[in-house]
Amino acid sequence: MGVAAAATLDLDAELMLRVKDGDAASFGVLLEKHRVPVTRFVYRLVQEQAVSEELAQEVFLRVYRSRSSYEPTAKFKTWLFRIASHLALNWLRDEKHERGQERLDDLSTDLPARQITDRRPSVEQELLYEVKLKEIRRAVAELPDKQRAAVLMHKYEEMEYTQIAKVLGCSESAVKSLLFRAYVTLRARLAHMGIT
Amino acid sequence: MNCPIKTRNLELLVDFAAGGLNPETASALERHLAGCDACRSMAADQTAVWKALDAWEAPPVSPGFDRRLYRRIDEVARFSWWERLTRAFRRMPLSQAVPLTASAGLLLMAGLLLHRPGRIPPVASRGEVVRANQVERTLDDLELLRQFGTADSKESAHSDAM
Amino acid sequence: MPCNSKRSTLLRFGLAILLATLLVAAASAQSQPQANLVERWNRMSPEERERELAKLPPERARQIRLGIQRYNQLPPEEQQALRERYQTFSRLPPEKQQIIRDRLREFRQLPLERRPIVHREVEQLRLLTEAQRQARFDGAEFRSRFTPQEQQIIRDVSTYLPK
Repeated sequence: MGVAAAATLDLDAELMLRVKDGDAASFGVLLEKHRVPVTRFVYRLVQEQAVSEELAQEVFLRVYRSRSSYEPTAKFKTWLFRIASHLALNWLRDEKHERGQERLDDLSTDLPARQITDRRPSVEQELLYEVKLKEIRRAVAELPDKQRAAVLMHKYEEMEYTQIAKVLGCSESAVKSLLFRAYVTLRARLAHMGIT
Repeated sequence: MNCPIKTRNLELLVDFAAGGLNPETASALERHLAGCDACRSMAADQTAVWKALDAWEAPPVSPGFDRRLYRRIDEVARFSWWERLTRAFRRMPLSQAVPLTASAGLLLMAGLLLHRPGRIPPVASRGEVVRANQVERTLDDLELLRQFGTADSKESAHSDAM
Repeated sequence: MPCNSKRSTLLRFGLAILLATLLVAAASAQSQPQANLVERWNRMSPEERERELAKLPPERARQIRLGIQRYNQLPPEEQQALRERYQTFSRLPPEKQQIIRDRLREFRQLPLERRPIVHREVEQLRLLTEAQRQARFDGAEFRSRFTPQEQQIIRDVSTYLPK
């Protein structure tokens, strides 16, 4: 089992090498696997659905376009998220120049529908939930861009510090520093919320 | 266990809140938390942050995502093919380009006349390894094409059983 | 001027050779379908194949073995025809491949008695020019003979999967 596990360690990189060799089907397999995580990551970074899909497509487009020069120097997921972070952080930087603070005030749109459970919440509970969700989104949106990217990779993609460091192009200790500063902020903003 | 706050080993508390510690370390930390107010408070707050972030669901990817992506890939491929084709000829003067292509043509012609394409050799070339999931996809495509191609035949009813 | 005339004759000769070469190369490439992934899989050693299959869940591995066996046991003419059809398909850009895949899956869901009818329509339309095909799609007879879903299948497969 250990041998098999090691052999499948970076199957994605091997698939990408197949894409390099002209195998379009392998690109489809990679897309199938990473479409949702990449789009979700970009969405939580930029917090606009249409933009996040546009950027996520750009990520896969760049993966496809760079297939002939691809070399597996890092895990495929690391490389993929490096492209995604780069594009999303650039977009955020450009947006800030254009819109400044306005964007943070406009986070009430693009809220995903809450999943219906058997215990139907009351209207007040529903409203309270929406208010808390908005607060969470705002708290994350107000983090500095790199801290935000690090938190999202750490929390939602369960990436390790070394991997996040490679994505962001910094040292492991710098990543820890980013994360811990981010969590100090988030604890101050969100610890009282009692989301269930 | 040494106090994570005093030893500045805060990632222990973060990983604990994320449920990412191995059972042995988690137990040791829990024993410490029982006697350390500062760590217990921070761990509780970090757990609350984790739960709050859990509540934030991203919207589903729209159904046309792949279609739009492939359309963009198609456009890029069309453009870059033309670029590559014309770039080589743009810089070269005609007086050089034509004899060069004529010579290349002569060599190609000689190669083709001498080469006798035969059966595909049975041994894998260059130790090539095809991945099982790739061949799975190819099999799916072949089956779709086969079922379509034999739709007129009497056996088409049997092909459904596959 | 003799010098220029000789040069221009040489250039024309060179171009003619290049054109002939390209035609021969194209004909040669078309006559031999390239090995698809299943055939390249068949060329691997049994140990390599089993090693790859072991990476997948048992049921998926079993289905792959069955699929390979079915392909290998096709009558030679049928296998050759399928190989050529697959080669045409695999040369399409990824987007068009996906469209064809979607339409063929829908075709597979059609009632049994409708499939030969839809298939025959596609085969006839493939022989037409694009303008003739379009004229047929626009005609009342086409719309009355086929459901909207069947029309879409016929349109896409006849357009994107040429003979």
